Amino acid sequence: MSSSPSSSTSGPTVEIKLSRSSRVFRPSDIIEGKIVVRSASSVSHYGVRLSINGSVNMQVRGGSAGIIESLVGAVKPITIVNRIIEVRSPGRIPRGTTEMPFSIGLRQPGEDNYERFYETFHGANINIQYLLTADITRGYLQKSLSGMMEFIVESDKAELLDQPMSPEMVVFYITQDTQKHPLLPELKSGGFRVTGKMSTLCSLSDPISGHLTVDTSVVPIQSIDLHLFRTESVLFGDRIVTETSLVQTTQIADGDVCRGLTLPLYIILPRLLTCPTVLAGPFSVEFKVSIVITFQSELSKTYTKTDPRNPKLWTAMETLPLELVRTK
Amino acid sequence: MEFRRRSYKKEEELGGDLPRSRVNVHPLSPCSDSSYHSQFHEAVDNSVEEFFDPLRGTSTGVVGVSCDSDNVEFNSSIKVNNHDPLRDWTMFKKFLMQRFPVSKLVRISTISDGILRSHKYNDKSSTSLHPEEADDSKNFADADTRYTTRQEYVSRLIDFKEKLRQAWQSDDRVASLKIAIKVARLLMDTSVLQFYPSLFVLATDVMDLLGDLVWQRIKEKAELSEDGIMLRPLPENFVASDVCSDAKETCYNWLSKIGSVKELLPRIYLELAVFPCWRFLLNQPMDSFKRIGKMMRGLTDPLSSSYCRLYMAYTASKFTSHDTEILITCIKDMMFVLEHAILNNSREYYGDRKKLLMSLMEPTIGYIMRNIFKSASQEHLDNILVEFDLNSKGRIVPCASIFIHYLIKELPDEALNTKSMEIVDLIGRYNDGNFDQCINYRLLGFRLCESASPANTVHVVNTVFQVVSQWDELEKYLNVVDPYVDLVLQNHMDDLLMRMVKGISERAEGRGFSEVELGDLQSILLKLLSHFKDPGAHLFMTHCLELLDMMYGSFRSTINLQILNTATRNGAIRDPVIIQLLLEICLAVIDSLDQANISNDEQMTRLISRFINLVDYNFEMEHHLAFLVRCRKELGGSNETKEALVHASNKLVIRGLKDGKHPDFIKSCMAFNEVTIPAVSNMLKQLNLYIETAEVAILGGLISHMDRLIQSVVSCLKIIMLEGPGGTYNVDIFLSAFQKASNLLVMSPSNPEVNTLQNLQSFLELIESGAWMMPMIRFRSLSTILWLAAIHSQEVLPYHIKGSQLAFEGDVSMLYGLLSFSETIVQKLLDSVQEEPSKATHGGMALDACNCIASVFEINNEVSNICYDLLKTAKVCLGSSNKYVKSTGKFLERRTLGSSVVTTTN
Repeated sequence: MSSSPSSSTSGPTVEIKLSRSSRVFRPSDIIEGKIVVRSASSVSHYGVRLSINGSVNMQVRGGSAGIIESLVGAVKPITIVNRIIEVRSPGRIPRGTTEMPFSIGLRQPGEDNYERFYETFHGANINIQYLLTADITRGYLQKSLSGMMEFIVESDKAELLDQPMSPEMVVFYITQDTQKHPLLPELKSGGFRVTGKMSTLCSLSDPISGHLTVDTSVVPIQSIDLHLFRTESVLFGDRIVTETSLVQTTQIADGDVCRGLTLPLYIILPRLLTCPTVLAGPFSVEFKVSIVITFQSELSKTYTKTDPRNPKLWTAMETLPLELVRTK
Repeated sequence: MEFRRRSYKKEEELGGDLPRSRVNVHPLSPCSDSSYHSQFHEAVDNSVEEFFDPLRGTSTGVVGVSCDSDNVEFNSSIKVNNHDPLRDWTMFKKFLMQRFPVSKLVRISTISDGILRSHKYNDKSSTSLHPEEADDSKNFADADTRYTTRQEYVSRLIDFKEKLRQAWQSDDRVASLKIAIKVARLLMDTSVLQFYPSLFVLATDVMDLLGDLVWQRIKEKAELSEDGIMLRPLPENFVASDVCSDAKETCYNWLSKIGSVKELLPRIYLELAVFPCWRFLLNQPMDSFKRIGKMMRGLTDPLSSSYCRLYMAYTASKFTSHDTEILITCIKDMMFVLEHAILNNSREYYGDRKKLLMSLMEPTIGYIMRNIFKSASQEHLDNILVEFDLNSKGRIVPCASIFIHYLIKELPDEALNTKSMEIVDLIGRYNDGNFDQCINYRLLGFRLCESASPANTVHVVNTVFQVVSQWDELEKYLNVVDPYVDLVLQNHMDDLLMRMVKGISERAEGRGFSEVELGDLQSILLKLLSHFKDPGAHLFMTHCLELLDMMYGSFRSTINLQILNTATRNGAIRDPVIIQLLLEICLAVIDSLDQANISNDEQMTRLISRFINLVDYNFEMEHHLAFLVRCRKELGGSNETKEALVHASNKLVIRGLKDGKHPDFIKSCMAFNEVTIPAVSNMLKQLNLYIETAEVAILGGLISHMDRLIQSVVSCLKIIMLEGPGGTYNVDIFLSAFQKASNLLVMSPSNPEVNTLQNLQSFLELIESGAWMMPMIRFRSLSTILWLAAIHSQEVLPYHIKGSQLAFEGDVSMLYGLLSFSETIVQKLLDSVQEEPSKATHGGMALDACNCIASVFEINNEVSNICYDLLKTAKVCLGSSNKYVKSTGKFLERRTLGSSVVTTTN
């Protein structure tokens, strides 16, 4: 796989190709690849350098209730790894396609592991990203050529838990009495009961599993959905700003399901949008799962946009924390 | 020239048998032994046959064997294909698309409309796989209905498929997936109703395509390196551990992409489409399958969920043959879903709409049931009714009758036999207005009929009949009784049969039958007929005739024809009552044919002729003649009927002669013939009938009749000669008739007014007048007359009628007249031989002429010259080694040597 070339179509292009098509590496791995330069004419340069960059970028947005609007801005990113190696010394790159192999490790031998290698994560406010950048500096007045490639880092074997790991399951009940928000009168009076089981500790390579049964419900059900949330917390000055956003919604039932039939819960965790639960000092990434039951009601038709975090009169929900870990 | 003298009496005394010689092996016996082949050839002249005689060719035996083996292979390959799930599925899809007629306008939901339109304008704005953010607004606003045309919808779907393929080929696999998701979302819209099955077929086509492409891609990842070089091909039955991690990675990516689709139905369809890819990841993917089955319980719309289950059944059939459990769960879940929907949503599920929805769901139930029983183990079969859980107390599954229907339809024979009583109970239990009970009883009846040896048939039939006899409605009664008649007949339950038939008459009393009921009644009567094989059977006569009277239209005609058919297969018809009945039936059929303006119905005339032929009044021949007269009056429309009447009358004459009937009776029969024959419109048939009657007259010694008949024969001949017989087949018939007519002249006594020579002259004139005659035909006719002349030249005729005068009494002038006449004939013979264009026929005719002339005349120089010339001609045409040439040559030699012992090989 290749990254997008940097220069315009007429000039020479620089691409980075990695040895693994999946682009997944462990901190202890040596990343091997090649820098591919395509040029119509020969290029003279002052050196070809490859830099490896890993950092946690954070930002804080207004919008969650209670945060003063002035608290909008970027937080200083945390550097995980930042190193440059020289792949070629100054010289000349001939015309045509030139491949320059490289190998670079994430961890330096003997280096202090004071910075943990967090796994790649693309969140709303927190972005943990690892990049390889190839730079070819040219002479004065000439713009340098560069190419970039993101790669994915997953935790080391040494830090991993043993496989197989059975997910920890938790039994839950959803009834008209367990709801913290107001409900429609017919729901309150008629009542409903939904029971189930779900995992609260789950490996990233396994799906979220569980099951759910509608025991009774007087009011017919419109749909049952499972929402996966991420909660990102960032230390901003002396405050911790937390925001919960939706990762993915999965519909479990469409319409009024039969009573007493067990429905399975099965959600494959999306790569890059989830990572192991991280509780570091300056930031934290956590997850939770919300099971929302929407009942059929006339009112629901007037509300078109539904925010799964804000329960409505005609919905019932149960939210459970979800700890994700990497196993292999 | 001189006629050869013949003494017929002497020849007869010497025994005119043909020589016989014994062979070792009968030439017609089947034998593929090559040694026999050579043996046979040694026995026969080793001349080169110009044609292949299939009776002698033994190579055909070998060819036949290989054909058989080809057939066997072909059959077995067909057998294999019968269980091919792909072929099965293709045919099923065709059936789905054709089964439900779709009106031009199709109603669709707003969401579908959005999808279809978006594609039309090539909307690329939705870049995420979570388009629900945009469509949330439409989710609940389903009050709006839109319309599109069927044509439009279909072409849109085909378009989608093409775009998917194109996107994939240009490596934009994400776009392909998005298209597939869009198509899958279309399946959520059940407002299209009758269009849904077609929508399903087209949409699953798209998804199958995606599934195949994804499979191919992962397989390539596993087998090829990045540059496309084959590294290691995966074996046919590979397992997960054979697959490299790159491929597994790709597979997992695809599965997680699909797993991120929000809506349940599209997600399930896509998961099923790529399900085979699980093989790359897991050794035992079937657990995953079960999970998908459970996920389907989240689908609550009976129509869309049943089609989703159909797709699952298809996927399972591709993948494995041990899918019985899963499919049984499918059916049970379907029952639950239906039960729930009907009980809780009576607004939607009642009346016509319910009927429509159920009929749309029927094919899915049928397919799944069929697949259950394809691979069900014996244990499953034994417990199948228990597994479906229809019998539990207190639980009434609505619409269970549909499931029962397909259960009965698809259950294998053995299981059906053992469980027939339970099934009968089940049918009785579920009398929901959905699928009429009678349909289920009827189906059960048919299946029991088809099976080899049903176990508790008697019990089953009795139980069913008990139920049915409570019903008052004739239509339903007939509907159910129809298949059970077969069972009743097979098991000789006569008493029950009587009650069944009585039941029909009771319900039909004073009411008559409707068209639908007539169909069933016809089927029942036909079964009874074919069982009893005789309309005279007691049961038939007593009950069925009154039912028959109440029938009308084409149904009645069918039964009538069948009765005639059956009756005429039983040999002679003797019972006067039956004869009367059959006559009336013939009249009825003729009437109905007249009404329908069908004339000359071949089957009918054939049956009537057979009927006439089979009627036998035994000794009451006068009655028989009266019967014939009546038939002629009422039935005699066609030539075949008249022929049959004439034949019957001739037979009567013969019998009458044998039995010593009064001559008046004989004469009246002859008179009958003389009246009937001229009514036949076909001249050739007339001719043959006249000849036959003349022969009969000769037998009976009726000289005056014979004279008249011969005159009629001659006038027929004249007419045919002028017009031509029409057709080569008829020419042969004519020729033989001509020869027979000439034979009659041998036996005809002298008519003082017309003598033999004049007769012969007139015959010759006849032949001359036939401009249509080919040389071969003319030749044959001429040689016949030559023979006739030769016979008349003899002193004593070979045959003569008692009491008639002999023709020739040594009248010398007559003899000279005959001789000169014969010479002209010979000349004409030679002319016609010369005219023949075809070489082989020319040769044959020459030989025939040679033989004829040599036999008729005494051999003198003139005759011998003629004959040897002819023989030379024949040798030129056919070759000297030809057997006929040789034998003729030998014959000539013998005749030339003047031996008086003549054994000709003519």
